[in-house]
Amino acid sequence: MTDLSQDAAAPRTGPIRRILRDYGHELLVVAAIIALLVVVGAINPRFVSARNMTSVFSGNAYIAVAAIGMTMIIVTRNIDLSVGALIGVLATVSGTLAVSGAPIWVAWVAPILCGALINAVTGLLVAYAGIPSIVVTLGMMAILQGGLISVTGGAWISDLPPEFLLAKMKVMGLPMPLVWAVALTVLAAAWMRLTPYGRSLYLIGGNAEAARAVGIPVRRRIVEVFMIHGAFAGLATLLFATQLQVIQSTTPPNLELLIITAAVIGGVSILGGTGTVIGASLAAVLFAAIGSALIFVNVSAYWLRAFIGVLILVTVLFDVMRRRRETRQKGH
Amino acid sequence: MTQTLTRTLPCLMGSAAILAASFAAPAQAAWTGGDDQPTSPLACDASTVAPDAGSYNGGTVTGAQPSDTLRVVDVPKLVGIGYFNATSAGVAEAAAELDGVEATTDGPAQANIDDQITLIDNYITSGVGGILYAANDPVAIAPVLRKALEAGIHVVGYDSDAEPDARQWFVNPAQFNGVAKTLMDELAQQIGADGSFAIVTSTFTTPNQARWIAEMDAYQAKCYPEMEWLETVEAQEDNILSFNQAMTLINKYGEDMDGLVGMTSVATPAAAEAVTQADLCGEVSVMGLATPNAIRPYIKSGCMEDAVLWNPVDMGYAALHVLKAAVDGTLEPGAAEVEAGRLGTLQIINGSEVLLGAPTVFNAENVDDFDF
Repeated sequence: MTDLSQDAAAPRTGPIRRILRDYGHELLVVAAIIALLVVVGAINPRFVSARNMTSVFSGNAYIAVAAIGMTMIIVTRNIDLSVGALIGVLATVSGTLAVSGAPIWVAWVAPILCGALINAVTGLLVAYAGIPSIVVTLGMMAILQGGLISVTGGAWISDLPPEFLLAKMKVMGLPMPLVWAVALTVLAAAWMRLTPYGRSLYLIGGNAEAARAVGIPVRRRIVEVFMIHGAFAGLATLLFATQLQVIQSTTPPNLELLIITAAVIGGVSILGGTGTVIGASLAAVLFAAIGSALIFVNVSAYWLRAFIGVLILVTVLFDVMRRRRETRQKGH
Repeated sequence: MTQTLTRTLPCLMGSAAILAASFAAPAQAAWTGGDDQPTSPLACDASTVAPDAGSYNGGTVTGAQPSDTLRVVDVPKLVGIGYFNATSAGVAEAAAELDGVEATTDGPAQANIDDQITLIDNYITSGVGGILYAANDPVAIAPVLRKALEAGIHVVGYDSDAEPDARQWFVNPAQFNGVAKTLMDELAQQIGADGSFAIVTSTFTTPNQARWIAEMDAYQAKCYPEMEWLETVEAQEDNILSFNQAMTLINKYGEDMDGLVGMTSVATPAAAEAVTQADLCGEVSVMGLATPNAIRPYIKSGCMEDAVLWNPVDMGYAALHVLKAAVDGTLEPGAAEVEAGRLGTLQIINGSEVLLGAPTVFNAENVDDFDF
């Protein structure tokens, strides 16, 4: 009953109430997914067929994996606009190694390491040069996008070796992207909730002064979190780049915004300090479910954007209102 | 509890909106995604009518300064995709052949009309002699191209046109009705004249795709009335989204769908991948517009028979030849044909469009002859 990581003010919390309090937002995303499945499944039962459920749950797996790292970044009250461009660069690095005859494990490990290294630069600029992360990552985004096109000349990578195509593999009959997304989400969620290191990220985002006061090396942590996020971008790249047999030298437009949106709709406060990777991953599944549902009920894909836009605004609005109320309560 | 509720309300509201839409939607008829301009489907058999050059409706360049070296910038919709890499290679090939021509390719990193306009504006300021473009938006790009013409810069489009008076000539890779006929004939041959099919396109507002689809719709109504057009879905020009959309169509229609047609060089291989992963090769035919490199694995695996496109290298090559001919004065308004190097004589249609020729079909026999 003594949960030091959360607000101790909440009185007499039973296990169910505690789950509702700590994971209320995540449960609502789950409820939204289930509601969609039930209603659209009733209109067209093929929507809930095993194969379509596989598409819904694994189609956005790379976004879910990237949103894990993004969640950590946002929790520390930072942001990363360069992750879409980073994934593009890492995909080209990985694909180039794969077709150049390097051992497959090198092609798989390289994007994870490169992601961490590139983001170390970002993290250093944010933490030690004191430049706001939105500015640093805006710059990084332009550097990575421009650099990628200049270096590749825009050429696609084709003729990828079949054993490189990780996203097409299966583990016990389940598609690899799904297995990765679930495993990484669970591991990261446990790490952030149960370890002192993970919990320190919330403190840094909630109150950096207090974090410093209790002896947390805030600057070093921020560099490290950017590196971890870069490694997750590398993991996401492996799913993104190995789904098809070609790698484009561009990434989907606004990929970074989609990843940030998954985190925000998943309940990660853009003001830092709260939110879980579970919510972010579930939100990625929710996007895939909405996208699929729109086809099943014949609604233009433009509505997907509009729906997601409404979700962002309303989520943030309620987050701001909640904080305001909490501040008032503490004041009295 | 109230906290939980306020935090979670947004999700409820979002899903409520979707649910409302799901109930309202089934009333809406499937939209093919074509534009609403008039169509002119070709004859169902192979007979052709000689095209009519028509009277010149392109723009005029004013105050062009002759110079020893013609500096040309080629501004495709975007750089970084195989298709525009190929047009760029064609431009470079023609530049190497022609005397006194220097050509560079510089396009936006994403298919964004604002970036494209800014880029062209910068080149007007820096003083080039010619601009080649493939427009991201036919209307929005027109003012900056008119500005170029007024500044004495020769302007020729290819692939995706602007308003005719905003450029001198446009290299039309293939007539829309010609592409539509080839696509539908190849599709009918694979899924039968009473087959059903769905389409994965870029967006409903992309001019080329909307025009092809409108012509396909008209040609299908005329020549294959028994075919069933199930649905058209959008997938931008995004690999993974194209794959997910194709997979969703497969899941939605099951055995009721005989064919999938990709309208972009991204969508077609992604659709083939979806059919491959659903284990439906042979059951669901995949065809469409695609570059040879992207579909080669699926043609080799037998999951695809063929795909249709023109040769983008030839298109870029022709565009620079047309520009040079306009600069030299060998191509004047009112002409019925133009010489374009190794491509020989190309016909002029619709007043100011240079027709590249019939579409190319890539299949197991010839796919290895191409590299783009």
